[in-house]
Amino acid sequence: MVTAFIMVKANTGEADRLRDNIETIEGVKSAHIVAGDVDIIAKARVETPAAVKEIAANQIQGISGVEDTQTYIAMD
Amino acid sequence: MRFVIIGAGRVGLRTARVLGEEGHEVTLIERDEATANRARNQGFTVIDGDGSQEALLEEAGVEDADAVGALTGDLNVNFSACLIADHYGCRTILRIDEEYRERIYRKYADVVDEVIYPERLGAMGAKNALLGGTIRAIADIAQHLQVVELTITEEAPINGYTISELQLPADSTVLAFGKTDGDLEIPTADESLEVGDRLVVLADFAVLSDVRQIVVGKTRGRAEAEQGADIESGTTTEDTEANTGGAN
Repeated sequence: MVTAFIMVKANTGEADRLRDNIETIEGVKSAHIVAGDVDIIAKARVETPAAVKEIAANQIQGISGVEDTQTYIAMD
Repeated sequence: MRFVIIGAGRVGLRTARVLGEEGHEVTLIERDEATANRARNQGFTVIDGDGSQEALLEEAGVEDADAVGALTGDLNVNFSACLIADHYGCRTILRIDEEYRERIYRKYADVVDEVIYPERLGAMGAKNALLGGTIRAIADIAQHLQVVELTITEEAPINGYTISELQLPADSTVLAFGKTDGDLEIPTADESLEVGDRLVVLADFAVLSDVRQIVVGKTRGRAEAEQGADIESGTTTEDTEANTGGAN
């Protein structure tokens, strides 16, 4: 299993909508609106690193209002 | 009153200056050495370092400060500082770096009493300058509502009529009226509207251009930039210009 944290930079004030959309993606365990230079941090737990990429690059970046994502894979 | 301001850049320093001029006590925190020295040379009390550190905030006197302004360009620093300041019972002001975040922080940042976006005020000043003196934004009241001051021109359809004859669109209302060189006052019905007179109108953005056409006329701002007297209770020209400036 792979655990990943995905930082999401938005370009819309509709942070709630983004968070709710992200939370419905399969493999995403939780998503929170945070203060700072990113707007949302999502935690994903999936079978393979490729699935992480699918979630971040295709699904999350496909949501309107998402400007950019940055993914961190847990090593422990 | 006592204030702590984090960030001695363009926004923080000007805020400190204005507060200082009004007799308030201000301590700045700045992590960039050159920026800190510049403020110090101008007579401000400056503490060197990262304003998101509790020890530095304590050194700056957060314990008996009335309010803390987190005015750096770094949102992480600003938010942490507000968290700590809130814990000490201060009123907290957070500067945001991007406009869309205004809504998010207003809703979620419970520890923040007020969110400010200086670029909005800067843009208002720039817009006024570009429009060339016949229309001047005074304040954004809400997303859709703005208070503007309009100067009546020769071509204005209302030129020569009285206040009572003035028909503005729905969603707009006259707040104040001033003769060319006079102060702004509550409008009275028989007042005549002449070239150079000023009307302060509260209007929905949707009807702003209609209001403009009625009061100013069709000609677009020739740069005859008349400096009207400022409304005392409103944002003054000086305030608007003082905030023109983006990053620290």
